[in-house]
Amino acid sequence: MESNKKYWKGLEEYKNTPDFVENNKNEFAEPLPIEDVLSEAGLSTVTPRRDFLKALGFGLGAVTLAACQKAPVHKSIPYLIRPEEVVPGIPNYYVSTFKGSPVLVKTVVGRPIKIEVNPNGGMFSTGTDAQAQASVLDLYDVSKLKAPVLKKKETTWSEMDAFVKGELNKAQASGKKIRIVSSSLNSPSAKAVVADFASKYPTTKHVQYDAVSYTGIIKANENSFGKAVLPKYNFDKADLIVSFAADFLGTWISGEEFTAQYVSNRNHKSLEKKKMSRHFQFETGMSLTGTNADTRVPIKLSEEGPALIALYNAITGNNLAGAALPNNAYATKALKLVGAELLQNKGKALVVSGSNDVSTQILVNAINAAIGSYGTTIDLDNPCKRYEGNDAEFAELINEMNRGEVAAVFFLNSNPAYDATNAKAFTDALTKVALKVSFADRADETADLCDAVAITPNYLESWGDANTYEGYYSVVQPTINPVFNSRQAEQSLLIWSDAAVQDYYQYVRNNWEKTILPSVGKTWNELLQLGVVSSTAKAAGAYSFGMSLEAVVASISASSKALQKDIELHVYESIPMRDGKHANNAFLQELPDPVSKVTWDNYIALAPKQAEKLGYKEFDLITVKGENGYAVDLPLLIQPGQAMGTASVALGYGRVKVGKAGDNVGKNAFPFVTFNNGTLKYATTAKLSAAGGREELAQTQTHHSFEGRNIIRETSLKDFLKDPAAGSGNHHKHKVYDLWTTDKHEKLGNDWVMAIDLNACTGCGSCIVACNVENNIPVVGKDEVRKRREMHWLRIDRYYSFNDEKAGHEVTKEKEIAHMEDLDQVSVVHQPMLCQHCDHAPCETVCPVLATVHSSDGLNHMAYNRCVGTRYCANNCPYKVRRFNWFNYWNDSRFDNYLNNEFTQLVLNPDVTTRSRGVMEKCSMCIQRIQAGKLTAKMEKRALKDGDIKMACQQACSANAIIFGDKNDPNSEVAKALRSERIYYVLEEINVQPGIGYMTKVRNIDSETKEAHHA
Amino acid sequence: MRNISLNFKKVWKSAFVFAAFSFLILSGAQAQDLVEGKTLFKDKCASCHNLATNSTGPALTPKMNELDEAYLIPWIKNNLALTASGNKQAIEASKFSPTEMKAFPTLTDDQIKSIIAYAKVGEPKKEVAAGEAAVDEGASALSIVGIIAIIILSIIVLIVLGRAVKMLERLILQKQGIEIVEEESVSLTVGVGRLFKNKKFVFFTVLCLVVVLGSFGWMGMWETGVHTGYKPTQPIKFSHELHAGINQIDCQYCHTGPFKSKNATIPSLNVCMNCHKNVQAVQEDGSVSPEIQKIYNAIGYDPATQTYDKTKEKPIEWVRVHNLPDFAYFNHSQHVVVGEAAIRKEKGLKPTDPVCFACHGPVNTMEELEQHSPLTMKWCINCHKDADISDKKDDAFYTNVIKAHEKIKKGEKITPALLGGLECGKCHY
Repeated sequence: MESNKKYWKGLEEYKNTPDFVENNKNEFAEPLPIEDVLSEAGLSTVTPRRDFLKALGFGLGAVTLAACQKAPVHKSIPYLIRPEEVVPGIPNYYVSTFKGSPVLVKTVVGRPIKIEVNPNGGMFSTGTDAQAQASVLDLYDVSKLKAPVLKKKETTWSEMDAFVKGELNKAQASGKKIRIVSSSLNSPSAKAVVADFASKYPTTKHVQYDAVSYTGIIKANENSFGKAVLPKYNFDKADLIVSFAADFLGTWISGEEFTAQYVSNRNHKSLEKKKMSRHFQFETGMSLTGTNADTRVPIKLSEEGPALIALYNAITGNNLAGAALPNNAYATKALKLVGAELLQNKGKALVVSGSNDVSTQILVNAINAAIGSYGTTIDLDNPCKRYEGNDAEFAELINEMNRGEVAAVFFLNSNPAYDATNAKAFTDALTKVALKVSFADRADETADLCDAVAITPNYLESWGDANTYEGYYSVVQPTINPVFNSRQAEQSLLIWSDAAVQDYYQYVRNNWEKTILPSVGKTWNELLQLGVVSSTAKAAGAYSFGMSLEAVVASISASSKALQKDIELHVYESIPMRDGKHANNAFLQELPDPVSKVTWDNYIALAPKQAEKLGYKEFDLITVKGENGYAVDLPLLIQPGQAMGTASVALGYGRVKVGKAGDNVGKNAFPFVTFNNGTLKYATTAKLSAAGGREELAQTQTHHSFEGRNIIRETSLKDFLKDPAAGSGNHHKHKVYDLWTTDKHEKLGNDWVMAIDLNACTGCGSCIVACNVENNIPVVGKDEVRKRREMHWLRIDRYYSFNDEKAGHEVTKEKEIAHMEDLDQVSVVHQPMLCQHCDHAPCETVCPVLATVHSSDGLNHMAYNRCVGTRYCANNCPYKVRRFNWFNYWNDSRFDNYLNNEFTQLVLNPDVTTRSRGVMEKCSMCIQRIQAGKLTAKMEKRALKDGDIKMACQQACSANAIIFGDKNDPNSEVAKALRSERIYYVLEEINVQPGIGYMTKVRNIDSETKEAHHA
Repeated sequence: MRNISLNFKKVWKSAFVFAAFSFLILSGAQAQDLVEGKTLFKDKCASCHNLATNSTGPALTPKMNELDEAYLIPWIKNNLALTASGNKQAIEASKFSPTEMKAFPTLTDDQIKSIIAYAKVGEPKKEVAAGEAAVDEGASALSIVGIIAIIILSIIVLIVLGRAVKMLERLILQKQGIEIVEEESVSLTVGVGRLFKNKKFVFFTVLCLVVVLGSFGWMGMWETGVHTGYKPTQPIKFSHELHAGINQIDCQYCHTGPFKSKNATIPSLNVCMNCHKNVQAVQEDGSVSPEIQKIYNAIGYDPATQTYDKTKEKPIEWVRVHNLPDFAYFNHSQHVVVGEAAIRKEKGLKPTDPVCFACHGPVNTMEELEQHSPLTMKWCINCHKDADISDKKDDAFYTNVIKAHEKIKKGEKITPALLGGLECGKCHY
């Protein structure tokens, strides 16, 4: 019994284009040059027998001689003085903080190689994002500067100090302004340093601006409740979540934390309690959050304001003007339904908006106040301190510089020459400043324009701290000595302000011992072990909204009108690249976008019908011309679910001075961002025209096709409550045929298996990066991805399906809303796909050299040194999870940005071999971790406990969608999960007996998914 | 002139007699003291003191000669008490190093006097014979090569001379006008030619050749990449025989890794310095032994001033003796901790031998370390097949696993292979 729903991964698959059909027949994208050989140099030329024998003889001789070479001499160089805590072969773990989230850093003989979850992290302890996972590679980035730079020449710190101090004194004497420009600084010690600096040089002001800004929310809260803060959102307390273009599972404020909260109401544990939250998403482009929503309603950017007004009217019974959505009947109906449901869920609902417009956010505040969110799902008393930027202050800075009032400017973790919307105005104004200092680790776009680049170390080489929430503090501690001649920005500022304590470590420690540690009753050493301290959270107060909304609504309507021209352009942060600060990180560049599955590029996304209407084909180059005249050529991606009349472009690409890997990848979209009403706006308009030409995007989307087999199983909550096995196909099993009826292999010891909860997986992709880092998986680059040669052991397949599959289906209220005749209306399922470790593995039987064989604990082993590269196994794998090494990625200058470099190779995990050319590889179920876990238990002479061994992907997953363990232990998490009635095995009908069970996707929609019997 | 020399003789004689007399009286007692003193010195003092040079404590020979017993005895017994009592000399002496000297309240005055006596005299100079013996030993290998070379040379000389003689003979005969009858060399080639026409002979020869070359080839192929006996020259002539054998230092004192990590770890130089700050094997000319000097050079240590200079550090590049390919994962702790009992049994080690000897061989007899085991996969597998790990039955980790297996393998011994120890992925990942 299976659903008759049709799933497809891309439009070419849905439409079954001839190209797709042709490509799909082949296992590998590149045709093998057999025909060339046969036609040209092969059969037509005659190779005389003697030549053949000569070649044979020479070959044999050469091989023999080659084998006779002496074994190379290996040198072994021990420490001169071994640090007490280092034992070669045993990793050390240090707590630290990455961008405000506590992490655990794994180091081997002094080099950090992996970021893991800090179990003391509290609200952040569930997982890490892709950026955090990839951040170890940033440390070993060869594009960084190796010494401080003064006037474009390498210099020493003493010369740098003399120069900067001299200039500062001049600035001081002239009485002109000094500005420190940074992105949001949530480090209490760094803030104290800036304050110290300001007291030495009183004309100093600290300007915080974020490339992707949250000023709108902060200003709105100041306006509505007198609190200029970013609130703490509690998605775990919300039974009903309504999001207007806020990508809260991905990029919005704190994606990982929100994911954990959100999933706690939707995962298998929650479903066992018959409980699941409901999530509506109104948005323009298809975001990660949108793909996870129960109901996703595409709206234009210009419709967001009216939609919120309509919702406000529906909840409060008011009749504010401008609530009409004349061209979107679907959204109108959905808003009515949402309004009614919000009223039913008062105090258990949450409305969020991704807009950075103050008026819009004030309206959202009004809605949230009306449904009683304050004090429950929104907490204004323990605010979030991740973002504190003020867009207007930065705009004013440009004016100040233009007026010649600024004598010195310092850039700390900010790069306005790249990411300011009016970068040109900024760079022009910058020339009028006498002293320009950048604290960057490389000569980036801004640093390149500065007199001095006081190079800063990576966070893994630094001391510091973070205060992410009120009362929640974490420490940054170095895990390696600075590799280059760098110095922390804070230390430079301390030195330049002649502070009493100039060593930043001492400064941080003093600061903690004076202010934070006494209040939480911990010592510095305890802090260095825990990484995190928090004081008891204040009680979240309820806030009522008492303002008049007239002016607000007028402003919203005006902005909405302004957007109603040309194509409405939505610029957004993509999940791999975010704001572009890590653009030189090859792991992130090669991480496929969770929705479009595009790597190494940004693009302009249009709805299928829109593209058809404009006469564009996929991958056509389109000139996108913004309101300010800025124009770029971007390849077109046809994106189902994109609202008609809109286009989306990702930020973070198009950097030109970031380094080898990231330079000139994609186009910069920051100049499209507009600044009005005091905040940056990511909704704007653009004119499109065909640029001529075509550029194929490196998409992993349809690389692995399933020929329309039934591999996704889903159901609705309603059906699930009636029958937990609904949609899983478990009621009617296929008859299975078994080749090995007599030869049964018992798994007597452990049986390593996995359960993956499709209802928990949001598709964010941090597991992919975690897997890459853990298993030394090479980055192959754009061209190779185009040839379907990406090496990822773990991928996340994204399937589209129509919300309304079959005409004449029983139409419920919900169905009515969901009814659509075109591709705008799609729902999405994310399915992590990795080696299934089948007990009857088809790959094993076809290997002529027994390089891949089964183990007694249920794993499918891959002996690389035995593999001769026939690739039969990949051909025979029904899951298409085997990856072939087409090159020696670690010894090939074409892949210079990652493995092929002595310095970046320091990131490799010494417990995992790097694979050679001509060898097949695939997920090993982190066998190095299994073996290490077993050994620890053996050494301690105890039984292995459930949870002793964690997979890299499992560890990184904030949603806990991946559960790993021993099936033979009936009390293990995974054994329990696999007993769930939602469990199904992908392609179980072919009886390969996979070791990974998937739990059905459950959608909280009112329709009943009818199951049709499979013949 | 004569008178003077006579007088001088007289004086010299009497002096000699007096000296001999006094030596006779003293020597018996003194020899006894020196032996005891030496033992005590080695036991109590040598960890911090050298005789001739400063180390943790000052050089003893000059100090003992300079200071007086009345002060030295209470100082050695309990220097802290002496310092505390306000003895100025003691306070001054305690400033030598921040490391406090240990108190020795159990030593008797006589014992201390013995130590002082020994320390004053110092170590008797090394006997020359020992030095010569060492030189001989060093030359022995050379001499064999030399002898062979001489033999070969003389053979060549003989042949050349023989030819020359023949030539000369001919010349003489020719001059004398005697006809030379050439030897019939044709017969030999004809004979060989006939032999080669004999099919049986040819077949037999070819067969022999094939068998001999084939077996050499076969053996050679099995030995390809196998480096048993690999004994590279190391940058420092470190002798395991001396350290692990004669001095009986436990393996783990230097190799701290194997019982907790996958790596055995080559000791860092601070471990060497624990002993070699004092043990300097001083040469006759008073300089530190050149091999120990290499440690000092690497770590930037100056024995004269006892200071370290970070800028002079230069790590030692040892040559790896045991090389496993990168695709094979080997973990020492897995074997020497978890598998110790089974390995001891399998390899028949003496209970007194460290478990390391199972694979590394009798390291305590190796002057230069060599690879004892072949380190081939076959060698690994054989042990995994044979080793008996039944002793693990009471180990909580194995209890369930072994119980399950026993059901099907009743009575057979339990080996790593039975528990999956032969599967590829257990070592190759």
